[in-house]
Amino acid sequence: MSIKTNFRIGIIGNPNSGKSSLFNFLTGLKQDVSNFPGVTIDKRSGTYITKSNQEIELIDLPGTYSVFPNSIEEKIVINILTNESNPFYPDLIVYVADITQLERHLLFATQLIDLGFPMIFVLNMADLVEGKVLNINTSVLSDYLQSVVLVTSVRNGINLITLAESIDDNVTNLRIRPEHKIYELPQKEKDTILRIKEQLNLKSTYLAKLDAHHYQWLSHLTNNQKTLITGIIGKTSFIDIRSQVEEIMERYRDYGPIVKQTVSIPYNANKTATDKIDKWITNRFFGPIFFFAIMLFVFQSIFNWAKVPMDIIEKSFVYASSHLNDTLPASWFSDLITNGLLPGLAGVLVFIPQIAILFFLIAILEETGYMSRVVYMFDGLLQKFGMNGRSMVSLISSAACAIPAIMSARTISNPKERLITIMVSPLISCSARLPVYAVLIGFVVPSTTVFGFLNAQGLAFMGLYLLGILAVLVSGYIFKFIIKSESPSFLMMELPNYKPPLWKNVFITVKEKVFSFIGGAGKIIVFISIILWFLASFGPGNSLKNAEKSASVLSDSLRLSQSERNNLIAAYRLEESYIGKSGKLIEPLISPLGFDWKIGIAIITSFAAREVFVGTMSTIYSIGSDNDTKTVREKMADEIRPGTNQKLYDVKTSMALLVFYVFAMQCMSTLAITKKETNSWKWPIVQFLFMGALAYMGSYLAYHIF
Amino acid sequence: MDTLSSLMPGEAGMVVSIDLGSFTCKLLSLGILPKSRVIMVRRSPFGDAYYIKIENYQMAVRKSEADTIFIRKLL
Repeated sequence: MSIKTNFRIGIIGNPNSGKSSLFNFLTGLKQDVSNFPGVTIDKRSGTYITKSNQEIELIDLPGTYSVFPNSIEEKIVINILTNESNPFYPDLIVYVADITQLERHLLFATQLIDLGFPMIFVLNMADLVEGKVLNINTSVLSDYLQSVVLVTSVRNGINLITLAESIDDNVTNLRIRPEHKIYELPQKEKDTILRIKEQLNLKSTYLAKLDAHHYQWLSHLTNNQKTLITGIIGKTSFIDIRSQVEEIMERYRDYGPIVKQTVSIPYNANKTATDKIDKWITNRFFGPIFFFAIMLFVFQSIFNWAKVPMDIIEKSFVYASSHLNDTLPASWFSDLITNGLLPGLAGVLVFIPQIAILFFLIAILEETGYMSRVVYMFDGLLQKFGMNGRSMVSLISSAACAIPAIMSARTISNPKERLITIMVSPLISCSARLPVYAVLIGFVVPSTTVFGFLNAQGLAFMGLYLLGILAVLVSGYIFKFIIKSESPSFLMMELPNYKPPLWKNVFITVKEKVFSFIGGAGKIIVFISIILWFLASFGPGNSLKNAEKSASVLSDSLRLSQSERNNLIAAYRLEESYIGKSGKLIEPLISPLGFDWKIGIAIITSFAAREVFVGTMSTIYSIGSDNDTKTVREKMADEIRPGTNQKLYDVKTSMALLVFYVFAMQCMSTLAITKKETNSWKWPIVQFLFMGALAYMGSYLAYHIF
Repeated sequence: MDTLSSLMPGEAGMVVSIDLGSFTCKLLSLGILPKSRVIMVRRSPFGDAYYIKIENYQMAVRKSEADTIFIRKLL
């Protein structure tokens, strides 16, 4: 049995230092991902158990370059580290630095020492290239930081036991380091900072300096304290950015010799493996071609590998549903389970294989370092459309499902670019639209071969995807002028050396994404399915009983078989239910697009999930059970527009309906995620309206062009 | 004085100074410091970003960011 303690360790370091790998090593799979309160930034925490069986909380804080933040994530870190009563304030910091980048990675560590944190400084060999001989001497650095310095390699499992021992030792007897100042305040700032320290009764001088820099947004400062600081600063010539820059330069100058004595990396003029790969992979011409080849492979894999597990999930739900139908006593409750809850659950679970495969492949691309090249290559293009290079990750993910795509927009630090990415991502055709496309394309496009090798229906599929991409660019361009933002947008980022993926990291990412999909979308889809079941199973007054009666009379006179009779009854009941009524209610609105009330019903039910369209159609056209030989597609194809002898699903209507499904925001779960990620009702409403307007106009045009 | 943007792919320069602005701290903490040696490796497909090398690592910067970095060309 392990004993719970209040001890908390923060794993801190620059991005690309191997910090998260170390966290994954120390916590194993005992991790928990949630949000920091009030913001949608991932908070990863886990449990570490010491030799003496004490449970320690470990927090993996977002990668940070210095105490002068440039992104929301970095601001959160600084808010935690400057406030002793913050619930995530660490008792001990395990600082991870890449040994080959010590000069840059040491900067933040020296600032943390000045804040007074006890620290274990880990020199990690994140991606040490073979044959690179290093001379390492940790004693000088250890003296400089007054902290334990360890050399490890998470990838190769070097020295990790020593690290664990050092952590255990710190937990049992945490040494309070006598105040150790690395940075000396310049003479001109001393007065100001010391006065703030005194007035706010702070422990460390450096904390007073950070309060002076960041008082406008530091969350632990009261309004009184803020006024106090403004008053003190107002009387002096303290210049914020200049002071920050001078501090950083002074730190670099001060520890420069220490870095040289700690690690010496022989200069190597030869091209590294990364140089050689990037010569082709990020080439101005071949780079984008290579990217599209990879994307083609990714989507082929999603659709090929996911097919079997999706079939299995669907079939087992059909089986479970029919089994329960036979065994449960007939009542509204068993109907709710078999026709409401189970199909709803199936609608969630069926997407898990695709999402898992997509994020498996994206995680590999991230882990190897390729994704940052994609960001670099497409930043210029996406900026023209109000987004930045990071948006590419969201747009790619959207092709599987908009929900994880919107969540990945968190890595975009500029709020305007992040918001635009969230708004337009659902316009990329997701996998839920595929079954709808498949049915409708069947009416419009013959399965012939064009140019000798291309399938005409396949081309039509591609056309719909391109239509979605076009809509992303156009609406991004428009949003760029509507949404205002003060925050500067920037790209500057490291392009880390290529390295083989760590499978544990990949696995943990996939697990996190799948769980957040189930948590985010799952509950809503199930909830909506139950509401839709209710609307489809009940009607005003005795209308359903009457519908049943007239269907029986009709089937008696037509001498229908038992199953045909059941289907006719189901169709009549649906027409008279609340949902049927609402389909008729919206008919005037959608008839300019060539849609009738039956399509209206399908559009309404699609709000649970778009692929429900096919299921609804099969109910409306009373097929789907037993001995029916006609498929839903044939039934729909036979449908005649009332009052004419034209086919209802002619080219015009089918085209209009296809365009409608490309553009319309028909997914409650996506709206819910947008609400959650933007923390407001405004943006999901805007998203619903602009996509709806786009769909309506697009369908109207399609109906009148074809 | 020349800025980083003026380097042609393959050319190297030494950082002389950086314009004081909202990016400066980030550039410094990424290791772009006065006296650092910078190599312009290539330009991005859409021309708006640069692939540069500093000491022993690679970085991507936008043209607007590179414009704030003043350099002296090295031969």
